[in-house]
Amino acid sequence: MGERLLDVRELEPPEPLERVLELLDTLAAGDSLRMLHRRQPNLLYPILEREGFAHRTTATAEGDFEILIWRKQV
Amino acid sequence: MLPAGLSFDQAPPIAVPFRFFLTAPLFLLAAAILLVAYGPEMLLSRHMPATLAATHLLTLGFTSMVMCGAMMQMLPVVAGAPVPAPRLVAWTVHLSLATGAAGVAASFLWGRPVLMHLGGGLAALGFGVFLAAAAWSLAHVRSRSPSVPAMGFSIASLAVTAALGLTLGIARQGGLDIPYVQFSLLHPMWGLYGWTALLVMGVAYQVVPMFQLTPNYPKAITTWLAGGLFLLLILRSAAEFTLLPPAVPGVALAAGAGVFAIATLRLQGRRKRKISDATLLFWRVGMGLLLAACLLWLAAALLPAEAAERARLLLGIAALPGFILAVINGMLYKIVPFLAWFHLQSRYVGKTAIPNMKQLQPDRPARGQMALYLAALALLAGAVFWPPLARLSGLLWLASALWLERNLLRALILYRRTVALATAKKSD
Ligand code: HEM
Repeated sequence: MGERLLDVRELEPPEPLERVLELLDTLAAGDSLRMLHRRQPNLLYPILEREGFAHRTTATAEGDFEILIWRKQV
Repeated sequence: MLPAGLSFDQAPPIAVPFRFFLTAPLFLLAAAILLVAYGPEMLLSRHMPATLAATHLLTLGFTSMVMCGAMMQMLPVVAGAPVPAPRLVAWTVHLSLATGAAGVAASFLWGRPVLMHLGGGLAALGFGVFLAAAAWSLAHVRSRSPSVPAMGFSIASLAVTAALGLTLGIARQGGLDIPYVQFSLLHPMWGLYGWTALLVMGVAYQVVPMFQLTPNYPKAITTWLAGGLFLLLILRSAAEFTLLPPAVPGVALAAGAGVFAIATLRLQGRRKRKISDATLLFWRVGMGLLLAACLLWLAAALLPAEAAERARLLLGIAALPGFILAVINGMLYKIVPFLAWFHLQSRYVGKTAIPNMKQLQPDRPARGQMALYLAALALLAGAVFWPPLARLSGLLWLASALWLERNLLRALILYRRTVALATAKKSD
């Protein structure tokens, strides 16, 4: 069980999406990905649903968003 | 809450926006050809037939074309409000704007009333359909994005612009009795300031923080500026027909545009990432030109008659081929590759390698085109003082328009190639 961190706060769209999709390909069952983002990644959510990932988003004190992503158990 | 991001489920098919973005540079090209053909006489006054023709090739064929296409794209994804019947609306708006622009321009050039009626009617039809679709969409908005009210004021201004333009066009041929002088002053103001600049503001509130990684615009600006300016446009218009002194709303309008330009330049100065690209540079240049336009607006109001006319000509150049063209040209370099990337990503990911943004729109040719654009603009401004420069400027505009088209086509070709690869693999 590992957790990986991806900070995309300084990246210009659509790089955040490109990066996270690359990482998701390598995410094993039981691993999770913690993503730091300046905005709600509304484009990402439907892709996650479709590809079988679960996610939970929380707003941070600095006004950013933290998105936790993991593979759904089948 | 931050404004909602983009959401793909609501994005229309890619052919909808692309046909607007790829035909627009051809009208830029047509305007450039006029400048080469007619040269110095176009700078004698803003009312020369070829100047009015070129103006409408730019406003109807280039800027309104891109703005309508972009808005049909942004309304669904930014405001969460789909445009009804996207294909039919896009088809109608695109065709009527393209033929309308050509008709209105040809009528100015050759003085044929029938072309003005036909072209004006077609442009008005295109705007009418666009307005109905955009208004329907804005009425169903789900987001509280600060872009939404500004977009509303912008399309309301488009209605005023088109109505004034149409009546001016008819009256010009002697078929209508209107206060021509007042209308001919208010029509460009509603067109350039209301329809165009207010839309640029609305788009900037969303796009500058998102793509240029700046802090958000101050709340006071996003909440009040666009509405305040719309009110001032009404007051300035009323001043033509009442005892209201026109200078009061006039100066306030110049100041308001200045506030927006300075706020944008300051935000861009506080970017988190220091890498720049063609879009950012175009926008910075555009904001500088907007500031110049504000100063020229004031100068035109204060200077004695002859100098004021020259200031007004320069104001027109700083505003339309300057500020507006720069911002829209820069915007095209982001929106076209983004849409191509986005459609590929959502349909074909996993089926073949998806090109990234930099491959779809490399920065070097975009910057090269920008250098040409700047040279063309500088020569055009220079030609106000030394008219022989006009034709040379026209040649540079021509090259710049062709290069822009070439750069945008690159993204489309790569898009097509990727789709072909992905679908070929699927059938293996
Ligand atoms: C329905 C389509 C339109 C028609 C039929 C039309 C018609 C006209 C006419 C007849 C004039 C000449 C006024 C004069 O004699 O001084 C004019 C001027 C002008 N129009 Fe339009 N127009 C249309 C749309 C637009 C739009 C959408 C814009 C801007 C976004 C625009 C911007 C201008 C400008 C900048 C001038 C130049 C005025 C000057 O320099 O004094 N027009 N238009």
